[in-house]
Amino acid sequence: MITCGLDLGAGTIKGALLEDGQRLLATAIGPTRGNPVDAAHRVLERMVEEVNVLPDEVDYLCTTGAARYAFPDRHLQVSDITASARGAVFLLPGTRHVVDIGSQSSRAMSVSETGRVVRFKMNEKCAAGAGRFVDRCAKYLQVPLEEMAPKALAAAHPKMISSVCAVLAETEIINNVADEIPLADILMGVFLSLAQRAYILMRNVGIQPEVALVGGLVRSEAMVRALEQTAKTPVLADPRSHHAAAIGAALLGHARLQKLGGRPALLLAASG
Amino acid sequence: MTLVAGVDIGSTTAKCALIEDGRIVGKSLAPVGVELVKDAERALEQALAEARRDRGEVRVVTGTGYGRFKVTFGQFTVTEIGCHAKGAHFLFPGTRLVLDIGGQDTKAIKVDPNGEVVDFAMNDKCAAGTGRFLDVCAGALGYDVSEIGALSLGARHPVKVTNTCTVFAESEVTSYVARGKDPKDILAGLYGGIVSRSLSLMQRVGVEPEVTFTGGVSKNEGMVRTLERRLALRVNVSPLSQYVGAVGAALYGLERPTGAPA
Repeated sequence: MITCGLDLGAGTIKGALLEDGQRLLATAIGPTRGNPVDAAHRVLERMVEEVNVLPDEVDYLCTTGAARYAFPDRHLQVSDITASARGAVFLLPGTRHVVDIGSQSSRAMSVSETGRVVRFKMNEKCAAGAGRFVDRCAKYLQVPLEEMAPKALAAAHPKMISSVCAVLAETEIINNVADEIPLADILMGVFLSLAQRAYILMRNVGIQPEVALVGGLVRSEAMVRALEQTAKTPVLADPRSHHAAAIGAALLGHARLQKLGGRPALLLAASG
Repeated sequence: MTLVAGVDIGSTTAKCALIEDGRIVGKSLAPVGVELVKDAERALEQALAEARRDRGEVRVVTGTGYGRFKVTFGQFTVTEIGCHAKGAHFLFPGTRLVLDIGGQDTKAIKVDPNGEVVDFAMNDKCAAGTGRFLDVCAGALGYDVSEIGALSLGARHPVKVTNTCTVFAESEVTSYVARGKDPKDILAGLYGGIVSRSLSLMQRVGVEPEVTFTGGVSKNEGMVRTLERRLALRVNVSPLSQYVGAVGAALYGLERPTGAPA
């Protein structure tokens, strides 16, 4: 049985193909660019091509993320909180606390051994604690996004950002540049500031090991370090955790499919 | 005859006002860069040039605004809250409530009949509803912030802007543009959101006429009309509304023993 999870996020679309609820066959990612449905179709196409199955061989498709209701060819949709918790525990067994930093929102969850969400806190009102903040900093510091983390790790005296607001932080960072503060220190300050915002959510939920970071920033070593330093706890990060919510959706799809006892005859086009 | 100067270093612009015998005799306004001390000096020099006066004739220089400590050549600094109250009272003596929306913060200031501060409420934690917010959203519409003032006046079907955060509102504006919404209607939606946020600050100190609107955002006609409609009141807006903090600072200088540091 092949199940597909699609995570339709504000910044990117993530996808995962899963066999029998156990084996990860493929993952893919693409930019949302204001059109989540088209972007999600492209992500799905890339995955089925990669593993050489026909689209028809996908038995069940489950969506998650902000635009989960927009994708018509789905069987099921689940909340991104449920999905990313489930995906995190699948990728990193032993996880009991999940921090998910997305492009437009961030959340912390405490989860059961099986990946069920026990408690969560979320910030979706403001960009200060979201991944978009890092994108913007990369842009106006003119550092390519992928170079931000390696450069930040060279920081000797990270310059913390005092502004809570992502927009006001820009002014502050520009002043730091004018004051000739080394770039590495400014960059590490960006990650520490984001970690500080995440830590507020984490503390609210209650931190218990193991702590796992999921979302796009998992590939950034500087972010992982900043979070470990701020929360004073080791943080698990797996490069595949960028797709945690998509994987979780595929897992939840598989569980539903088993409960149904067989593949539904038709996709529930736009009825969910 | 005492010539006094007020220099207001804001997050976006530096303003200077020169006052003599109860009259504003010179003023200047310029964007700030990163060297605030130089910006402050330039503000004073330009105002002096406009008034055709010399630096030596100025008895007291008072600094105010977020960068007031960069007015290193001044004798005093006063917070912008006090200066906006005093400046608004000078321009409109009936003022009881000042709404100041600057580049980076929003303040509602309740004043007594003498122009003294009674109470105030402030948002300086977040760019939502500030001049910066308008800058960013105007940019998303393809305009400069100076061009959008009257544009919303003909709006028929204002959109609803649901995001408070500047970053998210910018995306929301972009998506409205992509869906073919009229910029008029988008702007009207944005102004509605900013005014709602301002009203909640104003209500915290109590709304009492006359209301005087100051700061860079008060130059925006659409914002003024939206505020008046929501308050069901006429709102005072001086052509010098961006200079109110500098005017207030200059007036504070008059109250000090001449030239003697505090």
